[in-house]
Amino acid sequence: MKRVIAILIGALFIYAGAVKIIDPVEFARDIDNYKMLPWKLGVGLALYLPWLEIFCGLALITRILFRGSVFIVTSLMTFFIVASIVAKARGLDVSCGCFGHASKYLNFSWHLALDFLLLGGLLLLWKRPAPAT
Amino acid sequence: MKALLRQSALLVVLALLPAAVQALYLREKIPWQSRVAESDFVEVDTARGWGPNVIWIDARPSDEFERDHVPGAVSLNEDRWGEGLSQFLATQWSPEKKIVVYCSAASCNLAEDVARRLREEAKLPNEIRILKGGWEAWLAKK
Repeated sequence: MKRVIAILIGALFIYAGAVKIIDPVEFARDIDNYKMLPWKLGVGLALYLPWLEIFCGLALITRILFRGSVFIVTSLMTFFIVASIVAKARGLDVSCGCFGHASKYLNFSWHLALDFLLLGGLLLLWKRPAPAT
Repeated sequence: MKALLRQSALLVVLALLPAAVQALYLREKIPWQSRVAESDFVEVDTARGWGPNVIWIDARPSDEFERDHVPGAVSLNEDRWGEGLSQFLATQWSPEKKIVVYCSAASCNLAEDVARRLREEAKLPNEIRILKGGWEAWLAKK
C-alpha cells in the first residue's frame, strides 16, 4: 500500500514539476501573488522548485534517496499549506500554480483538501523502514 | 538522521544543476527586474488624454464593477473569461483603439493577467496597457 502511495505522490510531483518547467515566468507570477518574496527571489524559486519536485518525484518512485525525498516533499507541502492559509487570511486571491494552468480550475478549498491528502500520504511514508540505497 | 540530511542535501544540489542550465538558456526571456515592464503601464492622466480612442477594461470581480467603474468601461475578468471575451469582441472591441486594463489597486494582479491574456490568448493587435495604481488611482484623480 505504501509503495503505491509513494508511486502516486512521486508521479504527481513529476507532473507538477514538468508543467511548471515549461513556463517558469508563469510560475514566478504565481509565487509573486503570495506577496511573500521579492520578485527576483520568486523567479529564482520558479526556476529551481520544479526541478526539485521532479528529482524528489523520481526518488519516491525509484526508492533511491527515498528518505531525503520524503523529507523535502513533506517540508514543501507543509510550507505550501501554511503559505496558502496565510495568503487566504490576508485576502489575497492566489492560484497556487502547483499544476500549471490546471490549478486555475481548482478553488481554495479543493486545493487545501488535496494538499492535506498529500500530506497525509507523506506522513504514512515516514513510517516505512528506510530502504537500502 | 545523518543519512536523511545527506540524501536531502544531495537532492537539493542535484536540482540546482538543471535549474542553472535552464536559467542560462532563458536568461534573455525572463523578466528578472520586475513582473511587469514599466512600459506596460499608463498613468491615469495619460489614459484620460486618449479620450474616445481608448477602451477601458475592468478586470475586478463583477460585483465590484457593478458598484462603480470607469465610465464606459467593460467588465472582463478571469472568473467569466470565455463568455466575457466573446461578448467584448462582438460588441465593443475595435482594432484601432488602445486598451487600458485596470483592477482595484497597485497591489492587485488581475489587470496584468487580463492584459496578458488579451495579448497572448486573444491575440489582440491593440496597444494594451495597465492602469498604474488601478481603480484607486482613478478615484484619487476623479
